[in-house]
Amino acid sequence: MKWPLHDRPIPGRRIPLYNRFYLHAPRASHVDPVMVWGTEIDADALTSFLRERNRGGRVLLTTAHALIRATALALAQFPEMNVRVVGRRVYGFRGVNIRMGFYHRGNREIDLLVVREADAKSLEQIGQEVWQRLLQAGRGTGPRDRDLARLRRVPDLWLRQLLRIYGFLDRHFHLPSVGRLDELRGGGAMVNDLSFAGAPPMRSYKPTRFPDQADSLNLTLGPIESKVVARGDQFASSGVMPLFLRADHRLVDAYQAGRFLAAVRDLLNHPERLDGPAATDAPDRAGKPDS
Amino acid sequence: MKPDRQQLQADLLQFVQSRGPRYAAVTPDTDLLDSGLLDSLLLTDLILHLEGLYGIELDSGHVSPANFRTVSAIVDLVREQFAAAPPRPA
Repeated sequence: MKWPLHDRPIPGRRIPLYNRFYLHAPRASHVDPVMVWGTEIDADALTSFLRERNRGGRVLLTTAHALIRATALALAQFPEMNVRVVGRRVYGFRGVNIRMGFYHRGNREIDLLVVREADAKSLEQIGQEVWQRLLQAGRGTGPRDRDLARLRRVPDLWLRQLLRIYGFLDRHFHLPSVGRLDELRGGGAMVNDLSFAGAPPMRSYKPTRFPDQADSLNLTLGPIESKVVARGDQFASSGVMPLFLRADHRLVDAYQAGRFLAAVRDLLNHPERLDGPAATDAPDRAGKPDS
Repeated sequence: MKPDRQQLQADLLQFVQSRGPRYAAVTPDTDLLDSGLLDSLLLTDLILHLEGLYGIELDSGHVSPANFRTVSAIVDLVREQFAAAPPRPA
């Protein structure tokens, strides 16, 4: 049994007033706290870095691994982003755990994995962990795959009731994660790498929200596209990748979301920084409760 | 018995080339990494294909750039696995 959240919520006095408006708004107001911010990263810098690292490294690294690491470092820099809502309270996560969507080859559908403490792991460690899960899923041999197979056999009617109960408990109570299926609740940020070969150019993207309320943030990377960009007073052709952030105004405002996205973008634009420790920042409101 | 190099290479080439028009021109020495052709889906499929067909077992420790840079390198990897350990029944 693991307790993904700190024991106590963040006191209301440390939550910005406008976030509290969203947090405490009645359902009848049809409040929509979802924010999406799209930007672009320098794909040439990232692909050059990965190409160089893949010259002689032990683990084959991809943009997905870089995205996980960049998100983790940015969350470590801005712990006020590493939080979630339970009931009408805001709790900080104990660790920087990143969820990632991937194509489950064995089941021929999407599944999620969690990289725990990703801010403390190297790119290679993250890469190896992800490859291990991908291969396990392809063979259908992992413990989680057996759980998924059991869940698949649950009839729709029962699944609906299970999700209703699970969702109610998850939304309203500070609970531990007790199994392999709900371990996903330990990850407060979700990343998607949709830059797969043959993906169409991405102009906009609104990441979905999983039925549990844990993934307060979502970062999605789209495919590489060539664009003409200005470099000084010259125009040049450059590879760019779209990067979309989905955030929740009950937890963060647009200023915080923008700073966080800028940090992720900066790490991906200067990927050599992915090998370093998390930058330090003086956040206005850390994810930890008052001591 | 180690699989015949030519046969193994032909099988892998066919597997990769059948992924779509972008892969049609792949040769044994095409750099799959620098060309951006090898994504996680293809790599997973390649490993599962090799495991199913040849009875070898590859884990995440084998997923290195050197082992998957070209079709030729993948052929070497499979033959090394055969030499290192007898394959399990496919």
